[in-house]
Amino acid sequence: MKRFLLLATVLLAACSSTTTSSGSAAPTDLTVFAASSLTAAFNKIGTDFEAANPGVQVTFNFGSSTDLATQIGSEGTADVFASASGTAMDTVEKDPGVQDRQDFATNSLVIITPNDDPGGVSSLQDLAKPGLQLVLAAEGVPVGDYARQMLDAAGLSKEVLANVVSNEPDDASVVAKVKSGEADAGIVYTSDISSADVRDVTIPDNENVAATYPIAVIVGAPAGDLATTFVDYVTGTQGEATLAQFGFGPPLSSG
Amino acid sequence: MRRRLPPPIVALAAIGAVFISLPAIALAARAPWGRFAEILSGPGAREALRLSLEVSLAATVCAVVLGVPLAWVLARGEFRGRTVLRALAISPIVLPPVVAGVGLLMALGRRGVVGGWLYDALGVQLTFSTAGAIAAATFVSMPLVVLAAEAGFRGLDPRFEHAAAVLGARPGYAFRRVVLPMVRPQLVAGAVLAWARALGEFGATITFAGNLQGRTQTVPLAVFQLLQTDQEGAIALSLVLVVLSIAVLVALRGQITGAS
Repeated sequence: MKRFLLLATVLLAACSSTTTSSGSAAPTDLTVFAASSLTAAFNKIGTDFEAANPGVQVTFNFGSSTDLATQIGSEGTADVFASASGTAMDTVEKDPGVQDRQDFATNSLVIITPNDDPGGVSSLQDLAKPGLQLVLAAEGVPVGDYARQMLDAAGLSKEVLANVVSNEPDDASVVAKVKSGEADAGIVYTSDISSADVRDVTIPDNENVAATYPIAVIVGAPAGDLATTFVDYVTGTQGEATLAQFGFGPPLSSG
Repeated sequence: MRRRLPPPIVALAAIGAVFISLPAIALAARAPWGRFAEILSGPGAREALRLSLEVSLAATVCAVVLGVPLAWVLARGEFRGRTVLRALAISPIVLPPVVAGVGLLMALGRRGVVGGWLYDALGVQLTFSTAGAIAAATFVSMPLVVLAAEAGFRGLDPRFEHAAAVLGARPGYAFRRVVLPMVRPQLVAGAVLAWARALGEFGATITFAGNLQGRTQTVPLAVFQLLQTDQEGAIALSLVLVVLSIAVLVALRGQITGAS
């Protein structure tokens, strides 16, 4: 048992020394915590960023923004946080603190239907057609809450919610139900449909609800200046172009 | 005099017992006892409980009505492909439920291989309906009936059936009056396990039938949805499911394991 413990200690020491040794020179490892809706876009941005900065390795941790905010508070390994909601970023700003916080993208809502559009949907109002089979993400899931908020603002809550045939666990399940033709329509983020084989119906800006994505460097980030460089890259022209390619909009000017 | 069990075995058994019972104990420890009545009398919880009972009982009936004859064919029939058929009949036990759900969508969805015809010709749609939830629960629980019943049929001496035949009983009569009564314990065990499996079904249901209060939202789906908004509610409803399943398993313990 003693020998085992000794071995375990040596192994642990070996593991931790490999992660800390890089800290002595200029840091080359960057850890980014990002909302799961950013997965495809950030994987592309990560590859581009690594190509532009030889020797640098970016590691992503994708998840629900709320969960990530909790992890950042307790872990201390994150350099950058890209959140799908301001509230989650507020949590991190309080503890352990952030710098260079700025909004970098918006994600709006879109109606999707199967390619042959069995329900005949071409506007938000069409979702109120009696008998239409609509799927939404469940309440408490951000995209589901945004969709209900939008319907409420349009004064369509009652009629449209009566057509809901399923409250799905996340946006991917909504896309799956619509894509397979089981449901006539669904509401998801515009970034969800960049690769999905579905028909989309744009919702006009005055009826739409936009989610704003903030990004920031975590105070005490192990990667130091590299974290700032990454944030600058994401908010710069190249980052914005990649985000647009994956269905995200530019940040709203805070005027 | 009672024999002492070897200490290493007792130690491992103790760890196993703690591991398996800890989640139930933790749920009880964290349960919002003060809000219990309020949560369980809310419309969401009440409808979920009612729906869970309906769906699980209906699925058990379907699983027995279809599964017992299938088990009989597997036990007594001699035909090519029997091994493959048995593997297929049991496969839902090992399939991830979400895969079962996708399979059911492809088969019985309104654009599915069979479901497309049901929808176009008869106007029947299983997805997003209580019937769909029952279909999903039947699919995942029937293998437990097949396994238990086939074991029972195989353990039965064929001479009983021969004797019944010699005495003039038609095969159907012999099956009902001679075979079925003799394998009753296995059938009950299979049905109870199938019911328990149907009661806990989540993945295939949400994938195939969707999640709508009062129509397809059974207790496991309601627990999942409450987790997003009201964790205490989720714990209270989970605890009801835990207590219900343990109560039934305790009541029927002899039927399932053969222990007293």
